[in-house]
This record gives sequence, C-alpha cells and structure tokens, in this order.
Amino acid sequence: MIKKIPWWVGGILMALLLLFTFSIFGANRPLGASTYVPYFAGIIFDLDPEKYTYLKEIHKPGSWEGVLLLGVLFGSFINAVFITKTFRFTALPSAWKRYKNNSLTSRLLWSFVSGFFLIIGARLAGGCTSGHFLSGMTQTAFSSMIFGVVVMVSLVITGKLFYKDNKDV
Amino acid sequence: MYNKDTSIFERVLSMFQTVENEGHGSVLLVFVIGMVFGSIIQYTRVHRFEKIAGFSMLKDTVVPKMLFLAIGLASIGLFIFIQLGWASYHVKPILLGGLIIGGIIFGSSMAIFGKCPGTGPVSVAEGRVDVMVGALGGILGGLVFTLFYDKLQLLMGKSLGKLTLTGYFEDHQGLTVLLFGLTLVVISIAIPLIEEPDESEVGDLQSE
Repeated sequence: MIKKIPWWVGGILMALLLLFTFSIFGANRPLGASTYVPYFAGIIFDLDPEKYTYLKEIHKPGSWEGVLLLGVLFGSFINAVFITKTFRFTALPSAWKRYKNNSLTSRLLWSFVSGFFLIIGARLAGGCTSGHFLSGMTQTAFSSMIFGVVVMVSLVITGKLFYKDNKDV
Repeated sequence: MYNKDTSIFERVLSMFQTVENEGHGSVLLVFVIGMVFGSIIQYTRVHRFEKIAGFSMLKDTVVPKMLFLAIGLASIGLFIFIQLGWASYHVKPILLGGLIIGGIIFGSSMAIFGKCPGTGPVSVAEGRVDVMVGALGGILGGLVFTLFYDKLQLLMGKSLGKLTLTGYFEDHQGLTVLLFGLTLVVISIAIPLIEEPDESEVGDLQSE
C-alpha cells in the first residue's frame, strides 16, 4: 500500500479537490477549515446562538466545516490504523526534541498556548491556510495575498527566534 | 430553535440538517470531501510537525512547494470554471487590521504548534497527544473570540472591499490569471526541495 506521495502529486490532487469543491458539481463554495472551531466551541460551552453575533454569522459555514471536519477525522483515523500504520499515542515530536527541548511539559504547554492563539489569529484574519491561502489565493483575492505574505514572514521569523538553529541529533 | 434545554446532541443533529438544507453539497458529499482533504494532507505528510515547524526554520520546503503548486493550478482551473458557469467567486473582504494582526498571530502560532487548523485534526486522528492539547487551546480560543467578537471587530477594521487581482486588471482577466497561476507553479518548482526527517523516519514511531 502507498504510504507517502510526493509534494507535486499532493499539489495536483489538492488543486483538483479545490476545483471540485468550488464547482456546482461539488459544493459551490470554497474550502475552509477554521470556522468549525468557534462553531464547536459554541456547542461545547452551550452558548445561545441567538445571543452571540458571531455564532449567528458562522451558523452556516460552521455547520458545513463541522461536517468536513468529521470527514477529516474519520478518514485520517482509518488511514492511520489500516494503511499508513502511523497511529500511535505520542506527544513529543522528533524535531521538537532536536531543535527545542526534551520536556513533555514544555511541549504540551506551548501546544495549548499556540493552539489558542492559532484560532484567535485565524478568526481575526477571517481564514486560515485553507480558507485564505488555498481557497482565497485561488480566486486571486488581495485579502488572501496580504494574509499569505504576513503569515509567511511571521512564521519564518518565529521559527528563527523560537528554535535553536543547529543542534546535533 | 435554541432554548436552554437544547442538548449537545440536538445541536449536532441540527448541524447535519443545516448542511443538508443549505445547498452546498449533501452531508455525505461534504464528509467525503473532508476524507479526501485529510488523506491528501496525510499522504504528503504536511501535517507533520517536522514539515510545518521545519518550514519555519527553513529546513523543510514541502509545505510551500505544495501550497504554491495547488494554488497556481487551481487558480487557472477556477477561472475556466467560472467562464463556463460552473463556479463563482466567494472572495473574503480586506479587513486590514484583522489580516495583519491575525496573520502575525497565526504565523507565529503555526511555527510553534507545527500545525494549522486544517492539518491539526489529521494529527489528532493519528493519536498525537500534544495536538489534542493544542486543540483544547483552540476551542478555548474559539470561545474567547466569540465572547469578545464585538470588541475585536474594532481591531479588525472596516472592509476595504472584496478586491481581486482579476478585478483590478478587468480587461485582461484571462491573461492575468494565467500569469498569476504560472508564476506560482514556477515558484513551487523553483523552491529547492529540502526535507526534515519526520518521526517515522528517525524511528520515533517504531514499535512493531
């Protein structure tokens, strides 16, 4: 069974999936993947969707992405267990050990904090890697290009500052 | 309709109903799009910490290569689809404050987390506990954003419009998209391929 595909095959497949999703034969809408987070937060914390402006705004896209997310989780789990055989409970990525530290507490703490801000950032900008980068730039949207440039610069600067540059394995 | 007795179960059920009635694909279709989306991510391994954090350290270039190739090809394809009447534009507005402040926060969180909202769930489904913890942080982020949305909107600023490159070069839309798409494809090929070995390659996942 195939366990890995090269970047260019992935790029072509992703382009085809985007086109299908955009088309009237598919979903007739762009593919996004960060609105589902506040949508589920609203459900989990039992917020009244009539009372919060934001929940009202994201009612439809949040539902759509919620179903998408369930598909992602289900598909990836099946793949990981039966095909790629990559399902393991692990918590410390190899490169974190290589370029940051060996502390589980440090990794979990940083994950929680960066997960929190990842969603704040995505919702402030109105999209993420999927909604802005992939779907937005495909439409040659200026908003998505601005987001793309800012994110790339911020990502690389943080990478340089946060991780140790060269550490022996 | 929501009342205080509405259970989580009923709200999830209403999620499926909303999608079914919305006309953006049946629940099954959207679910399958999700499965394919997750699989492409999983098989190219762009959800791995090594790929995204590695990109932030410029030690791995699979993420930008794949992103630029996908956007380049899809932009040309989408333009053709729109001409044929098979698709339409759904452009996000320019809210400068939101895009710049949000982009800075998003980029630096992505470097540290090594995930984004689309790739995170793939890692969760593979059993990555650190990403599950990050997802809890994300849900809390979603809650805070919802609660303070009215104030945060001031930060995000007024919409400067839903502008596009093709809209700017109105008279030469086809040529503009073609050049835009081809440039991105060329960039994706021109970026040298560098790969940071991930956990399965350095033996961190060997247990059989």
